[in-house]
Amino acid sequence: MRDVIIEAKGLGKTYGSQRALADVNIAVPPGTIGLLGPNGAGKTTFIKCLLNLEIPTTGNATVLGCEIRAQNRASRERVGYSPEQDCHIPGMAGCEYVTYCGQLSGMSFQRARQRAHEILDLVGMGQERYRSVDTYSTGMKQRVKLAQALVHDPELVILDEPTNGLDAAGRESILQLIGSLWKQLGVSVMISSHLLHDVERICDRVIIIADGRVIEHDSMEALKNRHRRIVELAPSSEAERFTIVLKNAGLPVERLSNGRLRVETPSESAEPILSLMRQHNLPPAEIVANPNALHELFLKSLAASKTPQNGNAA
Amino acid sequence: METPLDLRRWQEKPAGVAYRRWVIVSTGLRQLMRMRFFQILLFLAWTAGVLMAAVGFVFTQSLTSGGWLESFAIHIGPRAQAVVSAFCALVLLYPDICIGGLFTGVFWLHSFLALGFSLIALSVVVPRLITRDRASNALTIYLSRPLTSFDYLLGKLGIILGILVLMWTGPLLLGWLLSMAFAPDTDFFVYSFLPLTHALLFNLIALVTLAAVAMGVSSLGKTARAVVPIWIAVWIGAGVIASLPTTPDAVRATSFSRNLEEVRQDIFRVDEILIKAGETLPLVDRSLTNNMLSVGQRESKRSATGAYIGLAAIVVVSSLVFSRKLRPE
Repeated sequence: MRDVIIEAKGLGKTYGSQRALADVNIAVPPGTIGLLGPNGAGKTTFIKCLLNLEIPTTGNATVLGCEIRAQNRASRERVGYSPEQDCHIPGMAGCEYVTYCGQLSGMSFQRARQRAHEILDLVGMGQERYRSVDTYSTGMKQRVKLAQALVHDPELVILDEPTNGLDAAGRESILQLIGSLWKQLGVSVMISSHLLHDVERICDRVIIIADGRVIEHDSMEALKNRHRRIVELAPSSEAERFTIVLKNAGLPVERLSNGRLRVETPSESAEPILSLMRQHNLPPAEIVANPNALHELFLKSLAASKTPQNGNAA
Repeated sequence: METPLDLRRWQEKPAGVAYRRWVIVSTGLRQLMRMRFFQILLFLAWTAGVLMAAVGFVFTQSLTSGGWLESFAIHIGPRAQAVVSAFCALVLLYPDICIGGLFTGVFWLHSFLALGFSLIALSVVVPRLITRDRASNALTIYLSRPLTSFDYLLGKLGIILGILVLMWTGPLLLGWLLSMAFAPDTDFFVYSFLPLTHALLFNLIALVTLAAVAMGVSSLGKTARAVVPIWIAVWIGAGVIASLPTTPDAVRATSFSRNLEEVRQDIFRVDEILIKAGETLPLVDRSLTNNMLSVGQRESKRSATGAYIGLAAIVVVSSLVFSRKLRPE
């Protein structure tokens, strides 16, 4: 097992006077990695540079131990990529397309066809796999894109907005599948998404990019711990008394529109709140620690990135 | 939240880049073969090859001593027998002119037909080469795999070469091989070989030119609606302008179809055959001899240097066009 799957050293990309990526230095260990950033932050450029779809202006990177420039083809042999925009080869049926993609990665026809059917089953494509890709709905195209990225059993899969255009059930099943790739098969996943909740659910590591720079890179757990401790309480009754008790204890409390109480605590655990509840004989309440932590952290990081002293994370 | 992944792993060493390029070529050709129009064109192209073989077969079987024409002439009478014997004697005495001349004529005619079939086939293929891949962002799919834009380019070139081999080289070789398979002596093989090399040389030049032009035109647009008119303009429009008597030579050289036509005349050298036949063969009819000489001399005055330079320039410009477009968008 590799210690690092992606390593970038001084990676930069400019389009004329427009800087898309600036001196990115990062070493990413295997796992499920979320790539976050606002629109135009440089996420897709970073991915494209790693895949050699864009030639970096400065610096270099290695993917699965292969230098992207010096070992151009080899660096993508065990990498799967599902791009954000619609990408397919016209005039082919779904299974034919996925088989073809497998062959383009060096699989024999028989093995590629076998894997194509297995992967299409996995992404939830039924008989529609025998229809031309041109006739697919957005959701089906998303599934077939994921299938082509997985067909050659890659060591690393890079997914750019993989749940775009999927309905709720489809999104759930695809997220479960992505979440299982690392845990069951040891396939690392780098997922670029605007949906922070999705990233929070399935990723164990997060990279935040803004203005072409990596402004945060850490494990999800460490990031959440660095975040101010927020607890959401859903009291079964006596919400007013809850508020008074918490405020009297010196804890900042905010009443949310859904009836819940948002409390900032000094401790990493919910124990101080539980002891307060016991002391004041408060009714039971559902306690959720660090809700929307990633969202808050994301916004905080973006705000911090606007200050000039911020550099790259490694 | 996990999904049980019941998957067979694939941990074999991936096949090399030559295999991956071949996959692009074979899949592209297979997709084309499914088209009815393309199937009809192929049928016509191979029919031309079979006809060529039939002409060769009839020639080799007829004009030899003891052949079926001589046997048939015996039944008609001594006059017919004498005429046939004279023809057979001509083949024996002047095999370079008779056999070489006949095969040059057959291959010359076939190259005209095959070029036409290839150009029609490319009208269907051009919007399907790079155009469609650009429209559907398929380039990203290719280039995110262990392939470079050069591999992609070679794959697409391979598709064009495959089409031209199927439309042109295949029927040409089939026609010649079938003609030779039943030839009564080796003279037919020896004296038809030079015309065959001429035919293959012209085939090669056309192959390179058409591949470059087709790739260049295909990379110019993102829809068939944009690309097909460009192809028609480059092929027919420029050809018509070049054929006007008032068109300057420099403008004429910009038409690849016109240039190919001139190169065809230059390579097959039908003029030389006609002059040689007119001067050498003891033909009874002097007016026929004179006609052959005058047509041959008229044709021999043409120079094809401009056409060769024009074709080279067209190939370079087309290559620059498609190589600039081979980045994912």
